Amino acid sequence: MENDLEIFFSLINNTLEYWWVIIPATILGIVVGAIPGFSAANTIIVLLPLTLSMGPEAGMIFMVAIYTSSRLGAGIPAVLVNIPGTAGAAATPLDGYPMSKRGEGQKALSISFTSSVLGGLLTTILALILIPWLSQVAYYLHSVEMIVIMLFGISLIATISSQDTLKGLIAGLFGLMIGYIGADVVYEIPRGTFGFLELYDKVPLVPALVGLFAISEAFVVIDRKMVTIQSQEKNIVHSWQQTFNGIKITLIRWKHVIWTSILGLIIGVIPGAGAAIASFVAYQQSKNFSKTPELYGTGHPEGLIAPESSNNGVTSGTLIPLLIIGVPGGATAAIMAVVLEYHGVQFGPDIFETNPMLGYGPFVAMGITYIILGFLIMPLTRYFSNVLLIPTKYIAPLIIVFTLVGSFVPRAYVFDIYVAIVFGIIGYIARKTGYHVAAILIGVILGPMLENFFLRALRISQGDLTTLFSSSLGNTLWILLIISLFVPSLKKYFSKQK
Amino acid sequence: MNKLKRRKFLQYSTAIAAGSIVGSIPSIAFGSNFPSRKMQAYIPTRAGGGADRNFRAFSGVWSKHLGIKFEPKFYPGASGRVGYETYMDKASDDCHDLIFGNMGPEVLNWVVKKPTFDLNAYKYFIQVDADPGSIFISTKSKMKTVEDVIAEGKKRTLTVATSRLAHPASLGILVLAQKTGMKINLIPLSGGKNTRNGVLTGETDLGVLPSTTVMKRKGLNVIGLFDEKNVLKKKMPNAILVNTEYKLGLPPLPAGARAFGIKTSAIEKHPERYKKLINSAKKVFTDEAYKKAVVKSKAPLEFISEGYEKECKAYVENITKVGQEYRSLLSG
Repeated sequence: MENDLEIFFSLINNTLEYWWVIIPATILGIVVGAIPGFSAANTIIVLLPLTLSMGPEAGMIFMVAIYTSSRLGAGIPAVLVNIPGTAGAAATPLDGYPMSKRGEGQKALSISFTSSVLGGLLTTILALILIPWLSQVAYYLHSVEMIVIMLFGISLIATISSQDTLKGLIAGLFGLMIGYIGADVVYEIPRGTFGFLELYDKVPLVPALVGLFAISEAFVVIDRKMVTIQSQEKNIVHSWQQTFNGIKITLIRWKHVIWTSILGLIIGVIPGAGAAIASFVAYQQSKNFSKTPELYGTGHPEGLIAPESSNNGVTSGTLIPLLIIGVPGGATAAIMAVVLEYHGVQFGPDIFETNPMLGYGPFVAMGITYIILGFLIMPLTRYFSNVLLIPTKYIAPLIIVFTLVGSFVPRAYVFDIYVAIVFGIIGYIARKTGYHVAAILIGVILGPMLENFFLRALRISQGDLTTLFSSSLGNTLWILLIISLFVPSLKKYFSKQK
Repeated sequence: MNKLKRRKFLQYSTAIAAGSIVGSIPSIAFGSNFPSRKMQAYIPTRAGGGADRNFRAFSGVWSKHLGIKFEPKFYPGASGRVGYETYMDKASDDCHDLIFGNMGPEVLNWVVKKPTFDLNAYKYFIQVDADPGSIFISTKSKMKTVEDVIAEGKKRTLTVATSRLAHPASLGILVLAQKTGMKINLIPLSGGKNTRNGVLTGETDLGVLPSTTVMKRKGLNVIGLFDEKNVLKKKMPNAILVNTEYKLGLPPLPAGARAFGIKTSAIEKHPERYKKLINSAKKVFTDEAYKKAVVKSKAPLEFISEGYEKECKAYVENITKVGQEYRSLLSG
């Protein structure tokens, strides 16, 4: 025990020696996270020559710090201007943006940051303790189990559409239909691409994301004759009190932070899952088990805590299978694998003994980054929220320009700018006619993933549909899914009985 | 502990920043009117993959001999179809725009489903590597050899992870199954990473991929190669030569056979430029810097394969012929 503590403190000491890597990477991560279209993965790719020139420890710490802080940074535009820059932040505006709209942007940011930092820190510590067990999760979750996990996320469509079920389901199905555009995963036959080569590799996610949320929002703002934000200015109060309130609100809901971040950690461990599915599942389950589900979607703190805690829980989870079995949990972890392999690092359980700085080091670096983030970003909530005071005649064109640039960045296709505009128009029509854009987006994001696992499961079972119920773990998940779908109705029934 | 000094970090950062600025200035070639602008390489796969690493290793040295930089442009999607269609549609035919692909899977793709362009409108002309297709299993698998796999495959249908159906490695295992009577079910998992994961996590019984992507992976064991010799016996000690051992009657068809391609109209319009490209590329293979770059990219030196129009043509003809023979199996 004494020896373990000695190693642990020596790791912290070693990691802190890289402060000159952690601090710039943290700042860079916040910036790229906050810009729609940029992400940790493509930033690390762009900076690959720099990362490769570092030693493996410095390189890993650099990548981990960017990854961690960009996840937190992605919450900023999602909360303030309804732009989830990455799919992992797609559930954040559901309650974050309504808070900003009623003049509580600073508080919303504070909640978002506190839950991100606490969720991230907690899961990093848990990951360190539970590494041997968590690394085995990937061995048990195959296509069949993944189908049920995807359905957990997709069932959020039903939750979102609780106010108008028909419209919600139409929006969700429309999103799923869009998600199936592109070449199928088995035979690579293009479907619904209208002859556009650019759609063979599925509908690009970032343009769809910014189009549905940001551009449509800008259209709505313009449509309201540029009065929306000005009319709210009187509601916006800038004081440190708002920041402290946000921290307090989150700390009071500590249980919520704990279980949603653990959910993120577990989903992060599963290869092919990731922050998007984690945040949707966490939001949906959070609402299911909430005492005040009717407040979700109106700017409810729990609706903001759930996706932010869970998507930060994913960050540590995604590294576990990479380090132990060489299976990256997500895209960013896959790029980290390339860098580490370049340095000749061999993955495996013995990495923790042969090279503790590379085995445990990333988690220690992640923990330190979260602590730095906590101190660095909290004071900024007051200034970030000033975005809401920018007159709408400026902010609407700014949103459009920034998001169009952001939609171009991931693939550098001009076509993607048109995709963002088309989705902006779809989002605008949806908003004007009472359809929920988030329901469409869930279909677009999770539809292809569901199809992928479904076709794979069918292919493995040679077309036998009963394969969906062929594993004990899968069946347990099916039962949990059904229970979670009926929880709201059961709760309503029992509350009426009382 | 290998630490990077702060000063070095700043040097690298400054160099990268300066490089970005310089890189944005149009390159000027002195002494020749070709190349007169940056060379562009259309790559039909994602950045960061095997093709990207191979390309950077080769083009980094080639640019020295050609006197101009190469710029990669990535167009992933639909097994390379997006990249090739884009190249044929948008690239100029002045010899500045090339395509860098993996001949095997991409030509097989055309066998299964023809592209919109004329297949004679481009040709491969500089081959850089030859990486044999491999059969691999998890170290946790009960099966340990190709013989075990065949025996098990005669009892039940084995699931085989592959990057895509139309792939030389898929072709190899399909031919082996047909010759030995084992039953297999190919599971396309889109890319090397997913294919390895499929085997590592036990979702599939075995997998097939180019050997480089598998040989050094912890938890995986390469048990067979679709080739006539094992040039990396040290790294793949358990790999038998399936083609000869089971008399598959297959010509050596590396699963990884990356090559530069060019529009035939560019060759017809500018034969001198084409010649210059080939002559400068020849210098790369004899340049020690290339070997160093390959080692740095973690690819084995043994898989460097110098080939030009003739060799590429032979490979394309062979794989097309075998692909057409097994077309029904490749299309699922």
